[in-house]
Amino acid sequence: MARTKGYPEALEKKLSEQRFFREDSNPEFTKNVKAISRTIAHMCYQCGTCTGSCPSAPRSSYRIRKFMRRAVLGLENEALTDPDLWLCTTCYSCSDRCPRDIIPTDVIMSMRNLAFKRDIVPVNFLKTVQAIYSSGHGVPNNDVNRAAREKLGLTRDPPTTHMYPEYMPGIRKIIDHYKLKAEADRIVKEREG
Amino acid sequence: MAEKKATTKKAPSKKEDTKKVAPVKQEVKKAAAPAAKPKAAPAAAPAAAAAGSTTQQGEARIGVFICHCGTNIAGSMDIPAVEEYAKILPNVAYVDNYKYMCSMPGQAVISKAVKDNHLTGVVVSACSPRLHEPTFRTATKEAGLNPFRFEMANIREQNSWVHMHDREGSTDKAKDAIRIAVAKASLLQDLFPKTVPVEKAAMVVGAGVAGMQAALDLAAAGIKTYLVEADTSIGGRMSQLDKTFPTLDCSQCILTPKMVDVGRASMIELMTWSEVHEVEGYIGNFDVTVRKKARGVITPKEAEARGIVGGGCNGCGDCETACPVVKPNEFEVGMKPRKAIYINHPQVVPLLYTIDFNSCVKCGICVTACGPEKRAIDLESKDEFVKVKVGTVILATGYDIFPIEKKEEWGYKRFENVITSLEFERLICASGPTGGHLIRPSDGETPKRVAFVLCAGSRDNTGTGKPYCSRFCCMYSLKHAHQIIEKIPGCIPYIFYMDIRSFGKMYEEFYYRIQDEGAKFIRGRVANIIEDKKTKNLHVMTDDTLLDRPIDMEVDMVVLAAAVQPKEDTNRTRKLFGVSCSSDGWLLEAHPKLNPCGTTTAGVFLAGVCQGPKDIPDTVASAEGAASAASIPIHMGEVELEPYFATCIEEKCAGCGMCVNLCPYSALALVEKNGRTVMEVTEAKCKGCGTCGGFCPGGAIWMNHFTTPQIVAQIDAFLLGGEQ
Repeated sequence: MARTKGYPEALEKKLSEQRFFREDSNPEFTKNVKAISRTIAHMCYQCGTCTGSCPSAPRSSYRIRKFMRRAVLGLENEALTDPDLWLCTTCYSCSDRCPRDIIPTDVIMSMRNLAFKRDIVPVNFLKTVQAIYSSGHGVPNNDVNRAAREKLGLTRDPPTTHMYPEYMPGIRKIIDHYKLKAEADRIVKEREG
Repeated sequence: MAEKKATTKKAPSKKEDTKKVAPVKQEVKKAAAPAAKPKAAPAAAPAAAAAGSTTQQGEARIGVFICHCGTNIAGSMDIPAVEEYAKILPNVAYVDNYKYMCSMPGQAVISKAVKDNHLTGVVVSACSPRLHEPTFRTATKEAGLNPFRFEMANIREQNSWVHMHDREGSTDKAKDAIRIAVAKASLLQDLFPKTVPVEKAAMVVGAGVAGMQAALDLAAAGIKTYLVEADTSIGGRMSQLDKTFPTLDCSQCILTPKMVDVGRASMIELMTWSEVHEVEGYIGNFDVTVRKKARGVITPKEAEARGIVGGGCNGCGDCETACPVVKPNEFEVGMKPRKAIYINHPQVVPLLYTIDFNSCVKCGICVTACGPEKRAIDLESKDEFVKVKVGTVILATGYDIFPIEKKEEWGYKRFENVITSLEFERLICASGPTGGHLIRPSDGETPKRVAFVLCAGSRDNTGTGKPYCSRFCCMYSLKHAHQIIEKIPGCIPYIFYMDIRSFGKMYEEFYYRIQDEGAKFIRGRVANIIEDKKTKNLHVMTDDTLLDRPIDMEVDMVVLAAAVQPKEDTNRTRKLFGVSCSSDGWLLEAHPKLNPCGTTTAGVFLAGVCQGPKDIPDTVASAEGAASAASIPIHMGEVELEPYFATCIEEKCAGCGMCVNLCPYSALALVEKNGRTVMEVTEAKCKGCGTCGGFCPGGAIWMNHFTTPQIVAQIDAFLLGGEQ
């Protein structure tokens, strides 16, 4: 397509079918989200308080309100394949302020759960799993930190699994119980070879 | 016995169990026998007293009429099966069904059957008695029976509607309901309603626009009306407003004539700075004690009564000028000072000063300022209690603003330039603290960008706010937008909304007009507001849901359209009158659609916002409705009371008096009769609640229409069956 100079994919997307059809909606998705999130995800009236409160929204394309809308309408594919799903920082500001008393953060978490079942998950999340499995920390201590801690009069390692590695087997047992590490390893391998 | 109960209860619903019918019948007779005995003795005594009419329960012949209610009932159960079942019940002489029993032909069916079959009682198995009991009572009466020979079996609200998808279950339940109703109907007696005279006077509690309108209407209908107002002057919330939507009439300009009329009307006795203290009695005869709070100032009339000729308060205001105590003025939402002796605003009705004794230091300077001629100030004045007798009462207690500082994210009371819409009304009003100049509280500057936050605390299910729509905030915020566009050239109003609810006459047109005038509408509920510490400007954070982008809007001032809630004292007042409230605190109407002004307490009516949020047109309409409803019993001159009252069987009464303290309506008393202490019922006060009857250790209290034999028969019918 010569006339789509520079933006072939964007134009193709712009010209594709945009309408929402009834078939796009899966009522089971709404039910599953409700069951996993344990919040009244179907009760959103789209006031925008969540996005207005969201620290991620002003600096990204993440719109929590849009995910709430997808939960209400059961737009499963649209919700689970949107990479924005992984931009929530789980700060719970939206949950503090939602006038309908919904917990949008937990709706996002439930969608992430459902996405993971379909192997939709960014690799950096899986690497976090691997990091926790090996060190007990999503962000393990490093030398810069150790130096900073020493300067502040603290121990080089915090009183966590870094200081007490004897607790690591317990953590690994929990992760293994859910086969999280095995799944993470498998997907990372598939993506990165 | 227990085993038999179990079998007999199940048995009747199965047709093939006809063999079992015989033992069941015997069982019933056994059960009925002890119930019948006590009935015979006491029934004779009170009923003979009631009217000397027939109470002898000869052979009961009951007619059962089953209503289909279209498909409301017939769609969920097997009507022919229910009908066949009713035929085998004891005392049933006639059974019929009809598509709509409440229709004229349906009622004719009842009437004809009663006459043709010499029925002694009627059972209609249909909807709730709350809906059609009066209809069928009338039909029973027209058929020649006493109207209280009627019993209703509810097979709609309590059956077909809740068991819509359980045909077998609802059919069985309908059979149970009819069996129970027939058991009671067989023992029903003739009852004769009492009539009591109605005092030709009414009371209206609250003198806002609703209370004033109701009082004016009652007075115009020739009824003496006591208008009780807790504040020092009348006018209520409406007198605090600047303009009214959608016509933009000046609120005071349209309200003042009404206030003046109220002050002048000879049939209205105005009681300001007063509150209802105690209520006794019932429809037609309420004895209300009003507490007139110590005012410290006397009217010319009161002065005359004290022998001070030409004295009393004339509203000159000399006292106010002299008073050294300064307090925030509540009428101006604290934005203006007042003295300890004050009036709310220049147009007050009545024009009479009031001393706020909570802040008065009794220095006596005002007494000197008032002078020896008027002698209007009495620093030693005390609360007075005035007792009045009225036939009907209208509650018009109004609303307060929800304390919006509870929603901390919007910063009210933390950020100076965040105000409520009521404060905005006072600031934009020519008679307000700034003479009608809208200024920023932080620096007195004129704002150029003003944000309006709608649904502030309304439509909120978090438990902090209010779950309901406050109903008039959308419209007054549109009006506010218009006012700042008009008054401040170049000022832009930003209206942050979820939905604009412009439902009234000419409201949508008003919305169109305001948008045309330049107001900017942003669809997004405000998430939070941040103050710029240096400029005291405010950053309104939200999501423009239509643009799908987060917004950080810097404005000079924020106006919160705060939710409304029932007036602080509403709960105390409603309890005095025995009126219920819904979970959100608004007073409960008798029926939300068909009886919005009435309450479940006969003779007490509701007007205006105390029943739920209303704008001014709806408030006035509701007040006129309440006044009309409240005037009916007064013009009728007497009211009929349902004859459900308790009756004392004096031979059995030990005079212990336990019941007297239990009665919630103070209807019972101990009296000396034939040398014995016995209980006596004031029938007009008795509501037939049964508290005394259920408690009486000697079984000496007879509850008309809910007698022990009748209730025992119903329980027996349910537990033991009773088919023939």
